[in-house]
Amino acid sequence: MAHQAITEYHAEVHDTTYNTSTGLSNRKLLMWAFLASDVMFFGTFIATYLVYRNRSLVGPYPENVLDIPITTVSTFVLLMSSLSMVLALHYVRDGAKISGRFWIFVTAALGIVFIGFQVVEFYTFVNEGLTPVTNLFGTTFFILTGFHGAHVTIGILWLLFLLFGHFKGTLRSDNSLDLEIAGLYWHFVDIVWIVIFTVVYLVTANDGAPPGAPPFIGPHG
Amino acid sequence: MTTTTLTLPRIFKRPKSETGIWSWIGTVDHKRIGTMYGIISFFWLLVGGFEALMIRAQLAQADSELVSAETYNQLFTMHGTTMVFLVVMPLSAAFFNWLIPLQIGARDVAFPRMNSLSLWLFLFGGLVVNAGWLTGEAPNGGWFGYAPNSGIAFNPGHGMTYWALGLSILGIASIAAGLNFIVTIFNMRAPGMSLFKMPVFTWMTLITSILLVLAIPVIGVALIQIGTDRLYDTNFYNSLKGGDPVLWQHMFWLFGHPEVYILILPAMGIVSEVLPTFARKPLFGYDFVIFSGIGIAFMGWFVWSHHMFTVGLGPAANSAFAISTMAIAIPTGVKILNWMATLVRGSIKLNVAMLFSISFIAMFTIGGLSGVMHASAPTDAQQQDTYFVVAHFHYVLFGGAMMAIFSGTYFWWPKMTGWMLNERIGMVMWFTILLGFNMQFAPMHWLGMDGMPRRIFTYSSDQGWESLNAIASAGGLVIAIGILLFIFNVFYSRKKRVMAGNDPWDARTLEWSIPSPPPHYNFETIPQVQHRDDFWYQKYPELLEHEEGHAPSGAQEDLHLEAPSGGSDDDHGHGIHLPDMSYYPLLVSLGVTLGLAGLMAGLWLTVIGAVIGLWGVFGWSLEPVNDPTPGADH
Amino acid sequence: MLFNLLPRIRRRQLLLTLIPAAAAFIAACGTGNPQDTFETAGPVAERQASLFMFIFWIAVVVFVLVEGGIIFITLKYRRKSDSEMPKQTHGNTRLEITWTIIPALIIVAIAIPTIKTLWDLKAPPADEPSMTIEAIGHQWWFEFRYPGEEIITANELRVPVGTNVIVKLESQDVIHSFWVPQLFGKVDMVPTRVNQLWFRADEPGSFYGQCAEFCGISHGLMRFRVIAEPQEQYEAWVASMSRPPVTPVVGSAEERGQTVFNNNCTSCHTANSYRAGGYAQAISTQDGLWSGWVKATQDGDVPSVVSAPNLTHFGTRTTLAAGIRELNKTTLVEWIRDPSSMKPGTRMQELAAVYQAKGDHTANLEPSQVSDLADYLLSLVPVEADAVPTPVAGDPVEIGKAAFASAGCSGCHSTGSDTRTGPGLAGIATRAETRVPGLSADQYIGESIRDPGKFVVDGFSPVMPKFDGVLSNAEIDGLIAYLKTLN
Repeated sequence: MAHQAITEYHAEVHDTTYNTSTGLSNRKLLMWAFLASDVMFFGTFIATYLVYRNRSLVGPYPENVLDIPITTVSTFVLLMSSLSMVLALHYVRDGAKISGRFWIFVTAALGIVFIGFQVVEFYTFVNEGLTPVTNLFGTTFFILTGFHGAHVTIGILWLLFLLFGHFKGTLRSDNSLDLEIAGLYWHFVDIVWIVIFTVVYLVTANDGAPPGAPPFIGPHG
Repeated sequence: MTTTTLTLPRIFKRPKSETGIWSWIGTVDHKRIGTMYGIISFFWLLVGGFEALMIRAQLAQADSELVSAETYNQLFTMHGTTMVFLVVMPLSAAFFNWLIPLQIGARDVAFPRMNSLSLWLFLFGGLVVNAGWLTGEAPNGGWFGYAPNSGIAFNPGHGMTYWALGLSILGIASIAAGLNFIVTIFNMRAPGMSLFKMPVFTWMTLITSILLVLAIPVIGVALIQIGTDRLYDTNFYNSLKGGDPVLWQHMFWLFGHPEVYILILPAMGIVSEVLPTFARKPLFGYDFVIFSGIGIAFMGWFVWSHHMFTVGLGPAANSAFAISTMAIAIPTGVKILNWMATLVRGSIKLNVAMLFSISFIAMFTIGGLSGVMHASAPTDAQQQDTYFVVAHFHYVLFGGAMMAIFSGTYFWWPKMTGWMLNERIGMVMWFTILLGFNMQFAPMHWLGMDGMPRRIFTYSSDQGWESLNAIASAGGLVIAIGILLFIFNVFYSRKKRVMAGNDPWDARTLEWSIPSPPPHYNFETIPQVQHRDDFWYQKYPELLEHEEGHAPSGAQEDLHLEAPSGGSDDDHGHGIHLPDMSYYPLLVSLGVTLGLAGLMAGLWLTVIGAVIGLWGVFGWSLEPVNDPTPGADH
Repeated sequence: MLFNLLPRIRRRQLLLTLIPAAAAFIAACGTGNPQDTFETAGPVAERQASLFMFIFWIAVVVFVLVEGGIIFITLKYRRKSDSEMPKQTHGNTRLEITWTIIPALIIVAIAIPTIKTLWDLKAPPADEPSMTIEAIGHQWWFEFRYPGEEIITANELRVPVGTNVIVKLESQDVIHSFWVPQLFGKVDMVPTRVNQLWFRADEPGSFYGQCAEFCGISHGLMRFRVIAEPQEQYEAWVASMSRPPVTPVVGSAEERGQTVFNNNCTSCHTANSYRAGGYAQAISTQDGLWSGWVKATQDGDVPSVVSAPNLTHFGTRTTLAAGIRELNKTTLVEWIRDPSSMKPGTRMQELAAVYQAKGDHTANLEPSQVSDLADYLLSLVPVEADAVPTPVAGDPVEIGKAAFASAGCSGCHSTGSDTRTGPGLAGIATRAETRVPGLSADQYIGESIRDPGKFVVDGFSPVMPKFDGVLSNAEIDGLIAYLKTLN
């Protein structure tokens, strides 16, 4: 039974064989290869963050600024956008016009909410005295999460572009591959955030002043 | 089915012309793109060579004051940067572009417009890196850009910012090219060409592309970091604020060592095509050559710290990296012995391409042996950052990569142009280059062991390095004569125009089965591949009969899913649909370049770049690959 | 076609030509040049060289076999007719396995002594006595500190023959690399880190060293010397470093030069670290000068100070400008007048006020002043052991005046009201009265000298070193008395 269900699932997912040596579409293979490249990109930034953990000469340190409850909410929002992405692809494939549009829109909207959280977070940190030039924590934090935010932003623009195409009729069930590829990218950016959330907000959140560095008093005394 | 299309307002017409400058600017044809890669990187070869001659002129005698210390530092920085990123890499890309579709029986690469994007980014990136020459502030922190000497505190001015931005642009170009060739090689092979029936050059291109896609992001991040340090005062490598200079070295060499194999694997691929052709024998141990290539690429990720033996990482780390580095000599040795075994009992024709390939083995071996010497960390303590190392990597990159590139040039020139390069001039060129090369770089082994450090703009006569330096400088002039002979040969042979025909060398792979130069659709009929070196066995089917047990049909693990050929309506050249030309890749690359240059020049330029870039991206996405209504623009 | 001209060469002849080539390499080793890595003078370089020779001979064998093989095969299997078709062999698994294993064995043979040498050279043998020295890289010179002997010097490292010397390596600015080819292979000097190497000079001599990591414009001119001396000579040198220099005769060129020095050079250079406590003060000064440079750089200002070579007993050195010239009056005058003509990018010329006044950035001094200054610097040699002057009691103002010059105050403070690195001191008596409530002028000035970090005047960098324990109480009292006379 289960076996049959899996087979059917595969039949549904791989309903199209492409006229290529591997049977995969060129663009999908391109996206997979690109994501491998992007793994190295984010991996290097995350490694930098970890190497410089507890090496700031002055504050603010992670414990002074990081707000885990709020970031947990924004993380949840981004995770939900992955779910809505799956639904969007499902309905676009099925040719369900309204549902397809709705879920593409929801995905992009959740992405925008996530970016909103990030903007507020950056703004708050700057107010609290942490900028990319303050110390090593600020430098590594802003550049890492900033590049992730840029990836999300590109994903939002891409989704809006596809939504527009859905209205215009250039995105249809027979070329839902366009959306599937955008979905691959979207899920990847999501997974990267889970890693960043774990490393930055869970593992290092309680880091205070390293030995030899002064404690952080705060900009307002 | 009816298709609705989105269009941007057309500011200019989609390019159509097949001749003239616009046909080159709008081209997406892999052959034309390959040609442009070749021409542009040959130009940079002349620039980098001129820089080398200036360096040699300065060092020809002690206490020389020919160029200033600052100019000298700019010269060696730009010589290294140019030769690595603007010469050897893109010359390899020229061969990738020209040959991969031809060798796998395809009509173009998987993403022709992205291919054009890579080309333009390469062009603009090279210009940005070199822009400093115009303002007198060429990059001066070494091609390795060690922090904190490359940071703003110790290196004010714009030189290293040009370097970081230009290399970032080149990095995007390389990643795009790498992705393109990965997809092309996996997906666009002619029916029947399983992975283990692919030509070795195609294999090495695939491995190189994978390395590019994985290694360039690492240097990309490092360049972003040093770039934001310089432009926005961040602290990544600012040692005054706790930044760790050693982290830069880890980043640079984690990229830098795979990069070494990015430079040499295509050369190994070229040699693996040339040797069998002119020995009239299949490559000995095809599978071992392929797997040692994969092994080198894989192990190349675990050896980076051998560039850092003197940094003070401690004997434990140094032991580990000494062992991993030495281990890489094993697959390399396997390749050398397989090439030699290919020649044994062959029927060797010593023409220019073959002489260059044989010189590759001979010179590369020397570079490999000195490589093992500094893989041994204690001896490296005396060799690191001396001319011994300079000798080593020139034996690998010039004696290795460049010899193979010259070999490939003589080998494939007839295919690319339709006419032959003169062999007699070529012989003289080969001899001149080989002689000049050894004159210039062999003495550097002694200089290094005699304590001469790298990157010093002068030395004093009491250090005793004058005569060997003088010999090396003379060698530089001899190499220059060799390069001039090549240029002369091109013009001379072009005038003589000895036509090549399809297959002047009695060669082995698919590109030789089609006319020279190939028509723009390459293959009138997509070939059905049955064997490794398929074209060879088409010509000599009788050879197959003697080969029971060693059938060259490739390994059994055939990844190929029996896909139909490129479409049955493509039987005649006239019915073949090729991707149409496009200006958008040029627009996108211009946008990226201006956008990044604006980070330095001012926000207004970034805005202009962003507008151009977005216009390019949207135009690109909305532009059909094939114009659905040809002639609509008329 | 080229090869048709060559006579047929047989394998044996081929080998016979390659072996002399390898022998020529060996013969060319040992050039007698001062940075020859084969002419070793101590155990570290010796181990490194002998490991090299071991690998080298293995490489020679491989070289001869491979290169000889290539030439032999190429000549032997040349195409004889265009119609010949060789046997189509595709490979031989047994052969492949063989020539995978053979290089692997060679690698193992090289790896074992490599790793043994690596660990053996990690530190000097624990049962042998050793001394520790700190070497600090600067753009583009080397600073040497002897914490045990309390000596600070630059560009010439004196060590006793036969003693294991541990060198702690640091850098203040960019990465440098510390290398004396005849004594030891290089180890980098990395800012934010402390590295370590050790060496022993087994014979006396002056060994050439050179920075081996690209470190900016004058990397090529960043050299130094290790001067190895027999134990007694070395000990005599150590003793002499705590004796004062010969006092210039009144009215002599040296005395005039001393004034030029005090007025123009002492912001950055110290020449009196022979005094008791002089070592601690010199280190504190160096750190303060460097902090000053860093702070100004980070604030986007042009720094006015930077850490500079300590010039105590400068006249005993043999070389000038980090080992690039012989030290004599001619070279010294040339150096003082226009240092960048000798060494491009020199910070002294970039920052010191005396080089900013004239359009061409040469020293704003009369030729005679330059000559006097050179004479003074060359006269900085320790007095004989029996000629150490005893301090005389006297007028506190005179003692203070002398201390003001000798402790280097005049480098940063003018006795008028103009601001240099530090405030001008005219009228200090009145200002000091009211500066800190509860402190008298005497107390304020005294505390400001002993621990200047306590009360930094707004607008000035906290770069002044502590003089507590450096100057005697009598000197500080003298300084207070002297400063109060300034109006």
